[in-house]
Amino acid sequence: MRFEEELVELLPRLRRFARGLARSASDADDLCQAAIERALKSREQWQDGTRLDSWMYRITRNLWIDERRAAGRRGVHSPIDEAATQVAGDGAAEVEAGALRGDVDGAMARLPDEQREVVMLVLVEGYAYREAAEILEVPIGTVTSRLARGRETLMHLLGEAA
Amino acid sequence: MSFDPATVAAFVDGELDDLTARRIAREAESDPALAAEIARHRALKARLTAHFAPVAEEVVPERLRALLVDARADTSLADRREAKRARFAPIHWGAIAASLVLGLTLGLKPWLPAADVTSANGTLVAAGPLARALDTQLASNQPADAAVRIGLSFRDKQGRTCRSFEGAGLSGIGCREDGRWALERALRGEGRRNYRQASSGALAADVAAMLAGDPFDAAAERAARNRGWSD
Repeated sequence: MRFEEELVELLPRLRRFARGLARSASDADDLCQAAIERALKSREQWQDGTRLDSWMYRITRNLWIDERRAAGRRGVHSPIDEAATQVAGDGAAEVEAGALRGDVDGAMARLPDEQREVVMLVLVEGYAYREAAEILEVPIGTVTSRLARGRETLMHLLGEAA
Repeated sequence: MSFDPATVAAFVDGELDDLTARRIAREAESDPALAAEIARHRALKARLTAHFAPVAEEVVPERLRALLVDARADTSLADRREAKRARFAPIHWGAIAASLVLGLTLGLKPWLPAADVTSANGTLVAAGPLARALDTQLASNQPADAAVRIGLSFRDKQGRTCRSFEGAGLSGIGCREDGRWALERALRGEGRRNYRQASSGALAADVAAMLAGDPFDAAAERAARNRGWSD
């Protein structure tokens, strides 16, 4: 199958992944657009016979991280990410958890970036730990520990019934 | 429970070897705590999957598809060279001139990119950035600095899905017809600073006159967009 055709087929899934990372639907589509443009520009770096989906997910995720870091340097803070690191056992967080019951987007937004991306890849996109590790270019152990923390926070925020 | 949390998670994620997976499954039958832990993990996974699944069902916005479908027309370097030659061959200048004239007689300016309005079969329809905003932007979730702000989405008395919008140059109401946004009302914007005050009142009155039932809430708006604004 041709490169572009495969990419077109991948778009619905890629948009879903981007929606989990970005803060709004339009940000997510902007991210997809940047990823497609990057992929078209550097298509010779993709080796025929290797998985195009993993390659695209990696491009998308790296662009998102770049954007997040740039926003951080511009001073666009995301206090919710900082709050998430100490969610468990915190009195204010208990109240917050009640308010968030049922709000998957809100709960996801409270995960630190490195947990959110793992949760999306494994729990939503259905990648194996090893595949997620390859996409993120981190060891498998890092994937499982971030996933465990992300899960714990989500279960807490979304309530026992999850 | 004789399995650590990581193993239970790996079980739910399908990451365990068959032997260990079977041991967990067997033990869960007689260990309610383990069974509950597995259920909790499964519930979270199901919840997330269900939450994000509709995104993959949405119509992919044209601006994304176009990046790839247009590129696909370029089949090979040789084809591109050929196309380039053909494009500048004298005979085509006639066609280009003709299309410019056609554009002029239609009152369009084809050399200006991204016009917000065009004409289709005698009907004014949204184009370019305006069409994109009407296609994709949700009133419940739009950037503060969006060029076009979506107001209300609603079903009109003819059964069409309509959306009001306000922009610096143009405000109005677009209604979905044959896959396009027919401009039902179009008011000239009055400059960025005060366009909202200038057009909101008139638009609200128009919407009220066209409305059948209630305007869409955020969920209905999103659902309508995900259906591609058709029934």
